[in-house]
Amino acid sequence: MERDLIIALAKAAGLEKALAEHPDDVAAAAAQAAETGGAIRVPTDPAVEPWPPMRPGIGQ
Amino acid sequence: MNELHWLTIAETAAAFAARRVSPVELVSALLSRIERLEPRLHAFVRLDADLAMDAARAAEREIAAGRIRGKLHGIPVGLKDIIDVAGLPTTCHSKILLDNVARADATVTAKLRQAGAVILGKLATHEFAIGGPSFDLPFPPARNPWNPNHHPGGSSSGAGAGVAAGLFPAAIGSDTGGSVRNPASCSGIVGLKPTYGLVSRRGVFPLSYTLDHVGPLARTVADIALLLDAMAGHDPGDPGSAPCGARNFGRELERGVRDLRIGFIRHFHETDMPAAPEMTAAIDDAARVLEAEGALVRTVTLPSLNEFAAVNRVILASEAWSVHAPWLRTRPGDYGQLARRRLMPGAFIPAGDYVGAQRRRAQMIAAVEDAFRDVNVLLCASSMDPASRIEDAAETARTYPRQARTPFNVTGHPALAMMSGLSEGGLPLSVQFAGRYFQDATVLRVAAAYERATEWHNRRPPIG
Repeated sequence: MERDLIIALAKAAGLEKALAEHPDDVAAAAAQAAETGGAIRVPTDPAVEPWPPMRPGIGQ
Repeated sequence: MNELHWLTIAETAAAFAARRVSPVELVSALLSRIERLEPRLHAFVRLDADLAMDAARAAEREIAAGRIRGKLHGIPVGLKDIIDVAGLPTTCHSKILLDNVARADATVTAKLRQAGAVILGKLATHEFAIGGPSFDLPFPPARNPWNPNHHPGGSSSGAGAGVAAGLFPAAIGSDTGGSVRNPASCSGIVGLKPTYGLVSRRGVFPLSYTLDHVGPLARTVADIALLLDAMAGHDPGDPGSAPCGARNFGRELERGVRDLRIGFIRHFHETDMPAAPEMTAAIDDAARVLEAEGALVRTVTLPSLNEFAAVNRVILASEAWSVHAPWLRTRPGDYGQLARRRLMPGAFIPAGDYVGAQRRRAQMIAAVEDAFRDVNVLLCASSMDPASRIEDAAETARTYPRQARTPFNVTGHPALAMMSGLSEGGLPLSVQFAGRYFQDATVLRVAAAYERATEWHNRRPPIG
């Protein structure tokens, strides 16, 4: 993830203070996030719903 | 009789009933041992000796009067410091919550008290149950009684260290990516992540709502069953709590494994994340032991361990960010560096990736359920390496993710880790068993058979 993008996303998430005080940690977190999702084979079938499913409660 | 500090819960209950030992004698002995060993182990964030002695005296009076509540009556227990005890701080081992005094007991605390357990105090954890051993927090990290230069596993690190060192016979931890089973593995004891929804999380500080579990650690499988009897049950105060009643989780402990079908997930430790040779040998030996006991062991293939871990990471990071965003925005410097780095990734994960991980999770659950149509229990690695040196951050960062516990946080199936050997360096090796939903008793049955057939549970760390 490029530095400018990291800064923009961090600011959008409200992490201005962390950016100022712990820029290396913000960059490390962004790098972790970028590495994390790639290994997942997200279902291509739109019918596959997420877990946990919605629960309507018990009707009381 | 064994030295008091090595008595199991079951042995202690028998000793109490026969008036050979009293709860006050036991707690006094443990407090002396804690005073001697705690400076080397740092298992506690807060030891409350007065609270413990008051509870021990109350238990002693009731037992003497014949009002025995059950096997946990008068048994000392430590709680990970993310679990509320009314009137005590729940700090989560963090500067963020140093003054956070709990107004009420967590449901699991209340259930243990109801069963007569004696709460000794609050135990060390990784900050907010994430990260790793850290030296920039208000309290030092717990250390491994087998070798204090190594970490005891985490995040329920004080629980693992304290149970293994004989500071207390039982502890309660939490498990979001393996945090009960890791200290059980690293410290050479037994730790159970129960089925998702079986034990209430109300009053336990959340890390990841759909991955969090609360579970017991002890030195024997039978003690885990006794603890689970007290802890389990439906709680309307926990949105994830399942509509299940408490039951006798030790009912199958003596049945053995003859004709039980055990699925051996070899690819987790052979190809997905190749384990250290001595760990591989210990896992393979566990399969042979169970086969010799009469189990039918067959190889099972599941989605790759790396993908389970990725799904766990995306979900954990996203949900943890939702919990911690307000503090990360305003007080980032009050976190230790490890937790800060592990809690912020959620800010950079798109919502679609989170939902995608939850959708893949549904398929992974289906794959594991499919495997359970053919086998009763799964056998696999827990850790791929013995515990790293606690002050070697690079070694810890390299070895910590090398584990096979996250699959069962992703799926919610019950999973237990226990000691299965000793490394050349004198550190515990481990194995893991997982079972069908709400068949925690069957997991305990297999673990008990393995325990009976081996001697690892009788080994004690050279801590004195």
